[in-house]
Order: sequence, then structure tokens, then C-alpha cells
Amino acid sequence: MLKLENLSIRVGEGETAKSILTGLSLDVPRGEVHAIMGPNGAGKSTLSYILTGKEGYEVDTGQALYEGEDLLALNPEQRAAKGLFLSFQYPIEIPGVPVMTFVRTAMNAQRKARGEEDISAPNFIKKAREIAAMLNISADMLKRPLNVGFSGGEKKRLEIFQMLMLEPKFIILDETDSGLDIDALKTVAAGINALRSPERGMLVITHYQRLLDYIVPDKVHILADGKIVKTGPARLAQDLEDKGYEGVLGLAS
Amino acid sequence: MTETKTAMTQTLNRAEDILFKRYQALASDPARARAFESFKASGLPHRRMENWRWSDFKARLDTLFARSDSHTTAQADPFETLDGIICLRFKNGVLAELPDLPEGIDILQKRGGYAFANCEDIPLGALTAALVPATYLIEVTQSYAQPIKLVFEGEGAAAFARIDCVIRPDIELSLIETYRGGAKFNASLTSFNLNQGAKLSRYMIQPATQDQAHAITSEIHLDAQSRYEQTSLAFGGHLARIETRGTHHGPESEMLLKAAYLAGPGHHIDHTSHIRHGAPHCITRQRTKGAVLNKGTGVFQGKFHVPRVVGQKTDADMQHNALLLEEGAIVNAKPELEIYADDVACAHGNTCGALDEAALFYMRQRGIPDLQARAMLTEAFISEIFDTDGQAHSALATLREAAKAWLAQLSQ
Ligand SMILES: Nc1ncnc2c1ncn2[C@@H]1O[C@H](COP(=O)(O)OP(=O)(O)OP(=O)(O)O)[C@@H](O)[C@H]1O
Ligand SMILES: [Mg+2]
Repeated sequence: MLKLENLSIRVGEGETAKSILTGLSLDVPRGEVHAIMGPNGAGKSTLSYILTGKEGYEVDTGQALYEGEDLLALNPEQRAAKGLFLSFQYPIEIPGVPVMTFVRTAMNAQRKARGEEDISAPNFIKKAREIAAMLNISADMLKRPLNVGFSGGEKKRLEIFQMLMLEPKFIILDETDSGLDIDALKTVAAGINALRSPERGMLVITHYQRLLDYIVPDKVHILADGKIVKTGPARLAQDLEDKGYEGVLGLAS
Repeated sequence: MTETKTAMTQTLNRAEDILFKRYQALASDPARARAFESFKASGLPHRRMENWRWSDFKARLDTLFARSDSHTTAQADPFETLDGIICLRFKNGVLAELPDLPEGIDILQKRGGYAFANCEDIPLGALTAALVPATYLIEVTQSYAQPIKLVFEGEGAAAFARIDCVIRPDIELSLIETYRGGAKFNASLTSFNLNQGAKLSRYMIQPATQDQAHAITSEIHLDAQSRYEQTSLAFGGHLARIETRGTHHGPESEMLLKAAYLAGPGHHIDHTSHIRHGAPHCITRQRTKGAVLNKGTGVFQGKFHVPRVVGQKTDADMQHNALLLEEGAIVNAKPELEIYADDVACAHGNTCGALDEAALFYMRQRGIPDLQARAMLTEAFISEIFDTDGQAHSALATLREAAKAWLAQLSQ
């Protein structure tokens, strides 16, 4: 479903140029959930930005195919309309735009791009209520400007709220677990699992085993120095927890 | 000023020549003559004059008057559907018809000149006072919940309108005002005298008029405990200036100035204000927000003057924030505090910048197309000016909708 081949990415020009991804290859088939772990600064968030179309990166080599299509040729909103969703490591505050207005605008923009009808107001509200209840999000929070003044955990829950509203096909979760309390981690994981299906793919970026206790991945990749250096089954995450990166990767890394 | 005085009398440009001839065609009287002499001292304000360097009426009116192609039609009135207790329609400064006046609202049409004390400080005000066909003296002695509507429209080369309004003690009133344009140069001069405890709220809109110039000048005098509130939305024109001069004369008076501007290509909009805190314990809150496109220009000049003795305990805040929506957009800003009193709380802030790229990317990631995301962020930014605290308010809603409609064009 998502296939990255020998992707090399750089930021900046000339003297200040910096390579962030250096020949990264990754294949996430439809229906699978893959976890990506890796030390701080390895390039995990950068990978999520490249896949969703943030500006400011130069592609030196390689390609990214999404359902066989050249992903890097599309702009961010086109990718979103094709079902790509990123739960941001640091969700952005949008002053003056209430959550409900924002999500409805996003949903209808995606539908329009796909040639579908707008969602009706009652259906939208009904769906929003159900999902908010499931995630313990208050009606008051949905009226506030998006993420403005929200706590770290609230912002993460709101990312999952948007994900469940938009029902994307390929989901990238960038440290969605960080900032969540123990109960919130469970509800958020339940929300994510609700979207797990043979039709969808997921890339779960995390530092800790605990999220993967709830969302058991089909594969775990270790990203270090801009490429995938090791791939293994779900228990690789547990190995990392026990031995650390040095222990698992050996001194060679 | 003296230096421009001598420079002026020698060279009249075409625009000034037209205005001079207008004056000569009018029956002169002392009030007119005084206002005109004062205007003549500087002529049309130009960029070498303080407070006019970013809005050169002399040069710009000249170009405008030279053009034969400019279609000068009045713009539609966004407040059209709102009801008022009365509607006063001014055509070239003359009230088209005097409506039946409700109790407590008196209007006197004063033909010919009418004294304008502030001539020296406001050249375009002086010009307007010199050239208006009539001044309308309005006295309000009863409060009304419904607003008075004012609609200004002109035709031909230049139109001048003038209103002088007194609001008696403890009376509350609101005004909704549309500056429809229609002449090449549309000038208005309004004076408001708020007696003790009086309250006035004004809601003003100036629709976009690319081929026309506007000078919308207001003078406000506040007695003790009076409260003045002004909310405006302006789209500018070939050249447009909204100038507000306020004086706190009595203690504990309040002034709230809220302005939004949206300038498209070829549009220039200037907000200039001067507020004198001439009595202790007065409050001024000024909030101006603008967004400008490529080849558009926004100007903000604000001054708070706080004299040494009478200005004690002044509480004043001035904020101007502008968005440069595209490369090639221009915003010039000069916020000034001139404070001589020591026991005051005065602050000002000024920002000019682009839309937040991180926010734009976030919105686009959720599927909102780039232009639509820009329009949404700009609307959110601007609409703070029309905030109603959750109350229904038809005039503010109209302003908000007008801003929204302009922004919606951007995402087409
Ligand atoms: N625009 C940029 N300019 C310069 N360096 C950048 C830029 N963006 C990212 N980097 C650098 O690239 C590296 C990878 O950053 P990235 O945010 O992808 O790491 P990460 O794996 O997500 O780390 P973390 O686990 O801390 O979230 C870091 O060293 C970062 O400082
Ligand atoms: Mg990261």
C-alpha cells in the first residue's frame, strides 16, 4: 500500500545542507500495522512530513509510492483526500477556528476532492458526538478553537478524534502516546484499533513498548541515522525496551 | 507647516485647481472662508507632510481626476437589509429627503458654511467644511435601541458631506454607516459630541472602490463618563483614509476603536487616529487588524496623547496587527504614544507578518486546500474585530459576513 524505495532527503542548500533520510526503504502492505522506533533525531518525524507533503525538503534519491501512485508529486490536500492522515507529534493551534468548524470543513473538502456530496449537518453532529463520547472529549472542548490552550494529552486525543471522523485509509501516528495519561492511552488505543482493517495501513511511530501492548504491530522497524537499520516482529519492541538501541543494534551503529 | 504654506500658493495641480474652482463657485461666508483659508495653507496633503507620507492625496487625486475611464458608480450597501429608526441618505452631501423624525431626534439643515474648529490639524476636514453644500446638525435627546442609518453617496468629480451630532446626557444611540462612494473623491466630516454619560456606537463600512478616493474623517468629543465605540470595516480604494480624532474632555470617559481592513490589488487603505486624553481616569482601547494582498497597501498611524496634568490615570492600549497575505503586499505602520503624565497605564503593540506556515500545513494535511486554508486563517484573524461576546448583533454580523465574502473570493 505504501512503498518507499531508497529515499534520501535533505534540508537546506549548499553549506547548510543537511541529509536527514539516507536511503530509506519501507513497505507497508494493505491491512498491516508497522511500528517505527528509533533514537531522538533519527528522522522519524521528518519521514512523516515527507509522506504528507510538508514543504522545505529536497528529495535526492528514491521514490514513495502510495497505492502505486507517485506520492511525492501530490500536494498535501490531494494526499489527504486520497486517505493519508498524520497524527502530529506536536499538533498545531489554529486560533479562531472552532474544532467542529475545522473538522467539518476538512471533511467536506476531502469529499469534494473525491467528487462526493457534503456530509449533512445532522449526520456530522451525530458522528462527532459518538466519537467524542468514546474518547472522553467534552462538548465544550469541541466548541473551542482547535488546540488553542489544550493540554498535551487533550491535543493528542483530538488528533484521534479527527482521525476517527475522517476515516483515512493510511494512518501515520507520530508519538501519539506521548503526553497521554494511562486511561487516555487505553481509550486512544481503542480508537486506533477501531480503524484497523484489511483495507487500511498504519505506521506507528513511538518510543515505548506500552502503546504497542495495545496496538500489536505486524512489524517493527528501527530507524537510525536516516534509514531502517533493523526490522523484526512485534517482540523487537520488547527487546529494545529491555536492551536499548545499543544492545539491540550492537556497537556497529 | 509654514514651509508648505509658501510652497503651496505657487503651484496648484489639476486636482487642487478643480477644488479651488469649486470653492469660487460657492457663495462665500466667514465660516467657509476660514475653513478654505486653512486648507489653502497646505493644499491637498502630500507625502512631504507629517502624517501624510504614506497617503499622498495631492498626487493620487491628481491622477484620479485626470482619468476619463474611471467608472464612478456607488457600491451596494451591505447594511441595506438592516432596519433603523430612521435612514438618512446623503447624495453629494445633501439629504435626499428628510424622513419623519421620531421624538428626541432633531435635524437642522444648515446651508452654507458652518464653523469647524479643527481646521489647522485636519486639512481634508477643512476642505470638506469649506465645500459642503450644507451641514446637518443632529441633536439626540432620547435613547433608541434601533440604530440611525447613514448612507453616503456621491457622483461627479467630488462629493462632500458633513454632520455635526450632539448626544445629550445619558442618552444611548447607535449608528450604521455606509460609505458607498460614487464620486471620484468622496469626503465626509462627522463630529460627535457626547455629553456626560452619553453612549454612542458606530458601525461603519467602506466597500471596495478601486477607481475612487475616500476621506472619512470623524471628530469625537467625550464628556465625563461618556462612552464611544466605533467598529469599522474598510476595503479601501484608489486612495482611502479613515481618520479619527478623539478628545477625552471629561473624566472616566471611554473610547473603543475597532477597525478591520482588507486591501486587494490596487487598493489603498489608511487608518489614522489621534486621541487626546484631556481628563483623568479615561480609557481608550484601540484594536486594528488588516490583511493585504499583492499590490495592496495598508497604512496605520495611531497616536495617543497624554498631557502631563490632566492625563493622569489614563488607561490606554493600542494594537495594530497586519497580515501580508502575498508577496508584494505593503503595510506601513506607525503607532505612537506621547505621554507626559507619570501615573498612567499605556501600551501599544504592532505586528506585520505572513500567515503561519505550520498552521497552513496542518490544515492542508487534513484536506483543506491551500487557498481555502489561507482564507480561513485570515477570517479567524480579522473576525476578532467583530466579536460579539456570543450575543446576536446584526450590524457586527453584517460586517463579519462582508469580510468573509471578500475572503471567499480568494479561494475561488
Ligand atoms: N528543517 C530542518 N533544518 C535542519 N535540521 C532539521 C530540520 N528538520 C529536521 N532536522 C533535523 O533532522 C533530524 C531528524 O529530526 P526528526 O524530527 O525527524 O527526528 P525524530 O526522529 O522525529 O526525533 P524525536 O524522536 O525526538 O521526535 C534532527 O537532527 C533534526 O534536528
Ligand atoms: Mg519526532
